[in-house]
Amino acid sequence: MSKGRDAVADALELLEEASRAFEKGMLLPKLFNHPGIFELEKERIFKHTWIFLAHESEIPRPGDYVVRYIVYDSFIVVRDDEGEIRVLLNTCRHRGMQVCRAEMGNASYFRCPYHGWTYKNNGELVGVPHFKRIYGERFDRSEWPLMAVPRVELHDGLIFVNLDAEAPSLKDYLGGAEWYFDFYTKKSRAGLEVMGAPHRWVVPADWKLGADNFIGDAYHTAFSHESTVKAGILFAENADFHLESPQWVTERAGGGLMQIPPGSYAGYPPSIVESWKQNLSPQQWKLVEELSIIPTHSTLFPNLSFLNAASIPNPEQVVPWLTIRVWRPLEPGKMELWSWFLVEKDAPEEFKRASRQSYVLSFGSSGTFEMDDAENWSSISRMARGELSRDLYLNYQMGLNHLEPIPDWPGPGRVYPIDYTEYAQRQFWKVWFEYMLEDS
Amino acid sequence: MRTSTISVSEEIYRQVREFLFYEAELLDEERFREWLELLTDDVEYLMPVRVTRDRGGGPGFLDDMFHYEENKYRLTKRIERLETGSAWAEDPPSRTRHVISNIRVAPGDRDDEVKVRSYLILYRTRGDDPRYDILSAERKDVLRQVDGEWKLARRVVHLDQATITTHNLSILF
Ligand code: FES
Ligand SMILES: [Fe+2]
Repeated sequence: MSKGRDAVADALELLEEASRAFEKGMLLPKLFNHPGIFELEKERIFKHTWIFLAHESEIPRPGDYVVRYIVYDSFIVVRDDEGEIRVLLNTCRHRGMQVCRAEMGNASYFRCPYHGWTYKNNGELVGVPHFKRIYGERFDRSEWPLMAVPRVELHDGLIFVNLDAEAPSLKDYLGGAEWYFDFYTKKSRAGLEVMGAPHRWVVPADWKLGADNFIGDAYHTAFSHESTVKAGILFAENADFHLESPQWVTERAGGGLMQIPPGSYAGYPPSIVESWKQNLSPQQWKLVEELSIIPTHSTLFPNLSFLNAASIPNPEQVVPWLTIRVWRPLEPGKMELWSWFLVEKDAPEEFKRASRQSYVLSFGSSGTFEMDDAENWSSISRMARGELSRDLYLNYQMGLNHLEPIPDWPGPGRVYPIDYTEYAQRQFWKVWFEYMLEDS
Repeated sequence: MRTSTISVSEEIYRQVREFLFYEAELLDEERFREWLELLTDDVEYLMPVRVTRDRGGGPGFLDDMFHYEENKYRLTKRIERLETGSAWAEDPPSRTRHVISNIRVAPGDRDDEVKVRSYLILYRTRGDDPRYDILSAERKDVLRQVDGEWKLARRVVHLDQATITTHNLSILF
């Protein structure tokens, strides 16, 4: 008990100091592995920000559900019998047992294994064994539904929740980032579909390292992933392919763009290129058509990231793929990585299969890029426990007082001419400090 | 279907067992080029994603999402990557031990093939970190005779975990 409180008191103190140092582009490594920081993150970040839980296509029919998490809270994301998407806390109102223990399925009712309280797939409590005899006539079942999360909003099929009833709308929260996300989500007339289920695996690394890497660390690609580029797995001239591409930064998101050979459309089939063009604004399409760049890596604060690139799963065959991922905090310095593969619903079947193979080769649990990332982030999280290492400030100054935003950029936010810069990462931490210092 | 160890000859059973033990040796000794030699050109190497289902919903292996969905080209690329001198996930290399048991062999769909099921306990440790990972799986293989030698034509790895507890799959099964 008191140990926990001490850790939080310690965290509050070091946050003040760390945020002052951060203004000079210096980051305290302790933040990657500290019990008090972790406690505060659960409360101050994950209870107030928009968290991605699932994609609409994972629950197409009434009764379809998937079980998802925010830190330790378990949620049933379900399409009820009326076709409405509900997000229900997966905790029984009687003694708190986890009601639904399968990861996915189809159900009209969820029955708690402990005493058999039964909830409809819209959360209503409809069955309490022997209830008249044991609770009496006045017991009102309608007062004990599965708790519905305060806010559920969709963006292009992505299902987000916010545990804070007072939070800004998802639209406001996105704040311009959707202009860049459109390139991922709007390629098809029919929308995206998740294939199968996400890869899930545990990485002894802090969740922020994934988010921080995906928002703006193009720089690591050249060195960390050199082997994969050298082996000819990625569709890129050389490992420095991010160097001359822009980096974008909005209030709560950021990412990088990637050059593609003019006219290649990153390898998307003609039918998809056509709908992609129609779905984007002329300003957006200008990037693809005239500048030959597309948004590739990005993060939406706090823990949702995207990646769209192309690999070579067979000789001479360039196949693009899209993944979205959630960095779920488990413990200080430990996360569970959830990596989804998505593809355009109306794409040719052969393309879908090849795109999945291209993704599996590159990202996800066995991905040849992802494996090096896991190695780096695990190491950083372990080092951040050292008495000296955890207090040794890290350099977050790349691009400071050195780069200016592109003046006539067609999209929202600030956009810097090269992706080897740390504006987006600094923005991630700026927002992180804002939430962490807010005593709500 | 019950596959009995006696549904093929003792001699074939012995050869299959030798093959699996030799293969494990190559993987554990990082002789990956030699391992590639054990694969047919049309090899399929799959590890489906597994999800937890209610009893009655089956074992939860998906047919449309995989941890590995490899052919010979992609497996070769993975090995080539290790040879570049900068494949950090495996440099320094993982130390692995493939323990193979419960081998069952049945006639294959073709005269020159057999179906093999085996259990795998895979121990993995890295660097000077005292932690280690243990993964367990059943492997469903098809071995084929090519020019008088057994080769692996197909492997489906059924992991016991739905959420994997090793930080990456930079190792082979
Ligand atoms: S805990 Fe769920 S019915 Fe008692
Ligand atoms: Fe990376």
